[in-house]
Amino acid sequence: MADKSNDPVAMWQNMIGEMEKGFNSFANKAMESPEFSKVVNQVGGVTAGAQKQLGELMEKYLVSMNLPSRAQMVSMAERLQSIEGQLNEIKALLHQVHSNSAAPGGGYPAAPRPPRTRRPPSAGGEQK
Amino acid sequence: MNAPAAALDLADIPERIQSEVQRAIQRSIKGVEYIASSGPALGSTPKDILHVRGTMNLYHYRPIADEIYRVPILIVMATTNRGYILDMVPGQSFIEFLLKRGYDVYMLDWTAPRPEEKSLRMEDYVLDFIPDCVRRVQQDSGETDVTVIGYCFGGVLSLLYGSIFNDGPMKNLICFTTPVDFREMKLFQNFSDRRYFDVDRLVDSVGNVPPEMILSSFDMLRPASRVVGQIQLWENIWNDEFVKSYRMFDRWATDTLPLAGEYFRSITKDLMWDNKLFNGTMSVGGRAADIANIKVPILHAVAEHDHIVPYDAAKHLIQKVGSADKQEVMLKGGHVSLVAGANAIKRLWPKLDSWLCERST
Repeated sequence: MADKSNDPVAMWQNMIGEMEKGFNSFANKAMESPEFSKVVNQVGGVTAGAQKQLGELMEKYLVSMNLPSRAQMVSMAERLQSIEGQLNEIKALLHQVHSNSAAPGGGYPAAPRPPRTRRPPSAGGEQK
Repeated sequence: MNAPAAALDLADIPERIQSEVQRAIQRSIKGVEYIASSGPALGSTPKDILHVRGTMNLYHYRPIADEIYRVPILIVMATTNRGYILDMVPGQSFIEFLLKRGYDVYMLDWTAPRPEEKSLRMEDYVLDFIPDCVRRVQQDSGETDVTVIGYCFGGVLSLLYGSIFNDGPMKNLICFTTPVDFREMKLFQNFSDRRYFDVDRLVDSVGNVPPEMILSSFDMLRPASRVVGQIQLWENIWNDEFVKSYRMFDRWATDTLPLAGEYFRSITKDLMWDNKLFNGTMSVGGRAADIANIKVPILHAVAEHDHIVPYDAAKHLIQKVGSADKQEVMLKGGHVSLVAGANAIKRLWPKLDSWLCERST
């Protein structure tokens, strides 16, 4: 096996790793300053405001073009989610009814759940 | 340099060149495959959806073992990320590990809060969602006791829940990388400096806090790592296992969830600014939530190289809870590799099993 200190690939990988650590550490130091916080939050505040205004403008534009807006698509997605939720509720109810009717003569029995009798290995339980 | 080592290097050169040429060819072939294919299917351990209510999802994973422990587990996922980090692919799934070891596992996972859910507050999470899920776990399992496992901010929610509902039914509490002293999350502190960060203006203008903002704040903690990750991906693209692992973690890391506006406002003001969890002055919906009230057995797993929740932010948890049976375990790894991937398989999972099995009967 090649000596790692002479292997150019290993040297390259090592250099990348060191550069990553160095840059992260340098950036973290810079980000700890109050000036950084001030600038980032000023820019962030402006961006959030601008995004909101742009969103409202786009909404009006899409309505005028007779196209569905994001809000309408989100509303559709919500309705779908709500339908999915109700389907899940029905599924869970059916599952429950099916489990309850597992008595003899009640159709197909539901898959039995394993017994809750497992013991830890130290107490003589088997580690399967 | 000694002579034998140099001789060995010279002898290795043709082999090394051949290997690098083969890798370069493989990179080109696999690079095309990478672009053309989708990543592995994640979160595929068979489960039933027990309940969905807006952002809240409760799953029950189908037991695998013939005999299971009496006490079921409810995993409370962090509200910023999806729960499939704990159920990546077969062989690398924490959920699958627990099922094979004989636990009955439920998960409280989150989806993106809808625009009208911007008004969800901390009390909705702590006094409604978690108790609702605990009740459903009790109902479904037929057991009164429940073990709660919280990951990252899911751990904070679990601590708040446990400190308010301290007379049951939580039997054990396990936290992974859970911050308590928010002053020690230095960079997040600086990003949310109350002199410059107008949380009210942000929440009032955007409603739910966009996932891009959450993702960039995580990325800013290690700004070079995403670029270096891409370089490493290209170098190792010939290696199918590396690529599979990269895709799994990258997909999860970028699948960040928005945060409900009022909930974010409360996190910023109560935890980041006033550090109420650490000071013992936290209240949720008018109910005192002092973690000293927690008396159940508790295990806190922290990572040695956690850049998101540094050890200084997490170390007070065990000191502050009122439990007699309490343990902190520090393991090698980072915030994510503590719970998922090869590191977790070797370290955290067996440790958790050995601690929990004794307390699950």
